[in-house]
Amino acid sequence: MEQVLQGIGVVSGIGIATIQVLASDLTGELKKYTAGTASAEAGKFTEALQVAGAELLKLKAAALTTGQQHQADIMDAHYTMINDPGLAANIQTKIEQGIAAPQAVLAAAEEFAALFDSLDDSYMRERAADVRDIGRRLARLLLGADQTQYGSKPVVLCAQEIEPSQAAGMPADTVQGIILGLGSTTSHTIIIAKARSIPAVTGLGEAINYIASGTVVIVDGYSGKVILNPTDANLAEYRKRAEAEALHKQQDTQMAALPAVTQSGTKVQLAANIGSPADMEIASKQGAEGVGLFRSEFLFLGREIPPNEEEQFAAYKAVAEQCGQALCVIRTMDIGGDKPLRYLNINKEENPFLGWRAIRISLERPELFLAQLKAILRAGAYGKVAIMLPMIISAVEIAAARQFVEQAKNELIHEGKAFDANMPLGIMIETPAAAVTAWELAAVCDFFSIGTNDLVQYTLAVDRGNPAVSPLYSHFHPAVLRLIDGVVKAGHAHGIWVGMCGEMAGDPLAAPLLTAMGFDELSMSAPAIPRVKEVIRRFDDEQMQQVLKKVLSLKDAAEIRALMAAFVQ
Amino acid sequence: MTKIELVLTNAAGLHARPAAQFVQKASAYTSKVTLAAGTKTADAKSILAIMGLGLGQGSKIELTADGPDEAACLDGLKALVESNFGEG
Repeated sequence: MEQVLQGIGVVSGIGIATIQVLASDLTGELKKYTAGTASAEAGKFTEALQVAGAELLKLKAAALTTGQQHQADIMDAHYTMINDPGLAANIQTKIEQGIAAPQAVLAAAEEFAALFDSLDDSYMRERAADVRDIGRRLARLLLGADQTQYGSKPVVLCAQEIEPSQAAGMPADTVQGIILGLGSTTSHTIIIAKARSIPAVTGLGEAINYIASGTVVIVDGYSGKVILNPTDANLAEYRKRAEAEALHKQQDTQMAALPAVTQSGTKVQLAANIGSPADMEIASKQGAEGVGLFRSEFLFLGREIPPNEEEQFAAYKAVAEQCGQALCVIRTMDIGGDKPLRYLNINKEENPFLGWRAIRISLERPELFLAQLKAILRAGAYGKVAIMLPMIISAVEIAAARQFVEQAKNELIHEGKAFDANMPLGIMIETPAAAVTAWELAAVCDFFSIGTNDLVQYTLAVDRGNPAVSPLYSHFHPAVLRLIDGVVKAGHAHGIWVGMCGEMAGDPLAAPLLTAMGFDELSMSAPAIPRVKEVIRRFDDEQMQQVLKKVLSLKDAAEIRALMAAFVQ
Repeated sequence: MTKIELVLTNAAGLHARPAAQFVQKASAYTSKVTLAAGTKTADAKSILAIMGLGLGQGSKIELTADGPDEAACLDGLKALVESNFGEG
């Protein structure tokens, strides 16, 4: 009989397959387990330790090659924990007392986890999860439930939670969906699912425990619905949706291979905005030509100490290499009081978006800024890399940043490390101040990239997160369009390239206007690329010039948007 | 038996990553190493025991090593702590 569960859709898409329950709950296996003598159990435990250690070293190496230093550190900590003499002694004592090895492992891990749980420190309490993870890793090995066997048949994975160690081994071609009992939207597993576009629903709670392997299921990652044993009618409807989705994806892939040129042959470079090296996979799938905005914040958030030069270098190098011949623009740290980090020591601010943030912090914290600049400069030895400064309001800031870049280069020469000595230094145009003085700024930097999200918010004095005023927020406001138009002209008059990396760059309705203004590059979240490219390819330059001229004569954002909607559709 | 006193000056104290480095360093020597902080002690080769002490920045620790390479062992651990565990 059909049964519908409601969860939270965290990765959109439709997945239809049979359920494969992952053994994060080991109760069933534990019941079936027949223990040998104490010495036999001890032997099995020692063997499991060796296998688990080797697995963790492999996962650590894999994380390092993809530039995920943080993940590699966690795997390294797990490796050290698994080889902990205190843990081993605790487990061996339990085995000598006649407890079966899997139970002994779980009980010992739980004892240590409980100790961490009791500490008055949120960071340490989170480490309790690490200890439980290694306990289950060992238990799975002992129970022979270690390797989740994936056949050639498509499956939907079902579990309370999937541990980082298990998620890493998911094959993308057979896993059609993921359903989880717990509610996390930011867990490691979900991050992997997003990167691979596997539809996922979380927060299903206790209901997850009653789902059996082999059940036919529909995962609707848009609505968060999970339909077990669907009716024929539902199955047919969702199959149709899944097919339409597959067709859409296929069209996108075909589009990915085509260049973004207008009917007149004018080329616009379409690049991707990324938040971590893991986003590169989808970016290249969608045909991104390089990275127009690499947000470096992911390296700084959610941790107790700032990332060091080596860690940053590994992440930047990974992306630079994947960009090949295309440019990778790395934006220096753009964090402020809205995301307070202990090591930044930002005082409580009335208005963090007008406060001490981004370049303002970097210029006053040389130790942070230099480590980041050195890491970026070094990544330049492995690809085409550029530095981009956020929140600029004056040429003085660019000059100050340039001095730090020179100091960073001198230190690298002194340390004998390879780097790109001619790396371009550009700025974000995201304050009205920068847009209005673009002429002066263009003389002292190598490129512009317009960050429309902030530029619109600061120009219109509208917080888009505030529902009372958010309808006033629009990148089609004449003030915004005129500022942008002026920035492109100022940049080109000085012979520097001008790009855009805000949300407007990914808006198909804005694409003809931006192309007509003469943007050299548009950078957007990867899934937006095919649609923008399709629009650019449809018109000739004259048509787009005409519509731009018309738009610049209009006075109202809504009117402009309506005109563009009619033009594009 | 040799004994030294140190202060953790790195920002994170003996949290996961520094604790792992500390334990890996201690394990490289054959001497038995004990870490004492306040009234609690822990085996310096056990990451779980070390992390269980919850030592943050500014914590005072006393290291005791006993074995054939005790002096080298304490020198190695001292260098690691004083380098702030390579935190940038």
